[in-house]
Amino acid sequence: MESNEISAKSIAMWVGAALLITIVLVGVVKFAGSKEGTPGENPIVAGLVPVSEKDWVRGASTGVATLIEYSDFQCPACASYYPLVERIVSDYSDSVRFVYRHFPLGQHAQARGAASAAEAAGRQGKFWEMYRLLFEGQSEWAGNPTAEKTFESYASQLNLNMEKYRADVTLSEVQDIIQTQYEGGIKANVNATPTFFLNGRKLQNPAGYEAFKQLIDAALATSS
Amino acid sequence: MKRLSNSLMPPLQPVLKKIGWALLAVSLLGFIDAAYLSAKFYLGETPTCFLLKGCDVVTTSSYSSVAGVPIALFGALFYLAVFVLSLAFLDRRAPKLLKWIGAISVPGFLFTLYLVYLQFFVLHALCIYCMFSALTSTTVFVLALIGMRLLRRTQVNAV
Repeated sequence: MESNEISAKSIAMWVGAALLITIVLVGVVKFAGSKEGTPGENPIVAGLVPVSEKDWVRGASTGVATLIEYSDFQCPACASYYPLVERIVSDYSDSVRFVYRHFPLGQHAQARGAASAAEAAGRQGKFWEMYRLLFEGQSEWAGNPTAEKTFESYASQLNLNMEKYRADVTLSEVQDIIQTQYEGGIKANVNATPTFFLNGRKLQNPAGYEAFKQLIDAALATSS
Repeated sequence: MKRLSNSLMPPLQPVLKKIGWALLAVSLLGFIDAAYLSAKFYLGETPTCFLLKGCDVVTTSSYSSVAGVPIALFGALFYLAVFVLSLAFLDRRAPKLLKWIGAISVPGFLFTLYLVYLQFFVLHALCIYCMFSALTSTTVFVLALIGMRLLRRTQVNAV
């Protein structure tokens, strides 16, 4: 037997709880959707390794603006930034120089292998082609212990000399390049991927293409 | 309105009342956590990949959703149910409400064990939000267990 009376206390309790849940929901959605950071306020990062001929560079050769990305082929966020970067590089082909550097994270078991595949393809002049295939196909190979096989299929898709590719992937020189870039990232205080540096300043990852474009435009305006 | 039939609604044992409030608080925390993860999922954002953290691996893995519905949403609904039931328990003082919490906390706890297993042994990556949820759902399970034991004891005493 239950009493069906409704006391003021219990009304207050339920209304209060409903309010609380509503506030929590609104707060959570706002917080989850909030974008941190204001552009252009960040200092020049002293530890950032300057661009050299060892780097993979695309876009304007004597760029007014230099965009450096520390990235990991297995990182989902990097894959979601990949199409944005492609658009930036093609839309600003005469004013932005784009540099890709390896920062394979420990929790991504196939990230180093993917970086090696890109480097090995680079030794046959197809770094950027492999870079595209790796990002576009990330869901095919990420977390897959036989990812090396997928990388080989990409290599043959790019008509690489497979014998040379297989030898280059395991080359210690290739591993050294990746490790050096990773350590350079650590020196530049990279602790997450993707991390972008625009003219030496660390960016707060932009929320979309428009936000990215604004950052680039701002950098071009100040440097010209 | 004045309560006339006090005898029909005996005051809750202080310990049971405390358990009710604790369940309310813990389920609210779990709800905030799970709602945050669900919101992130539906906003279509990929968490940035951090050095020494595996949230990206966990929340973007194939285990993170079932038929397009994020696991976190199931979690949010679970915590909301516990929250509403604890509130009802504190309000109506009906033992069966606590038993319902106990009943839903068992599959909740088993599912938590499965998710923790996935993180440790399949994905080899830990997600702090997921581990926090594991903590809250385990707490709900333990509190419900203690509450039910206390109920049984008081019922035996009453007879």
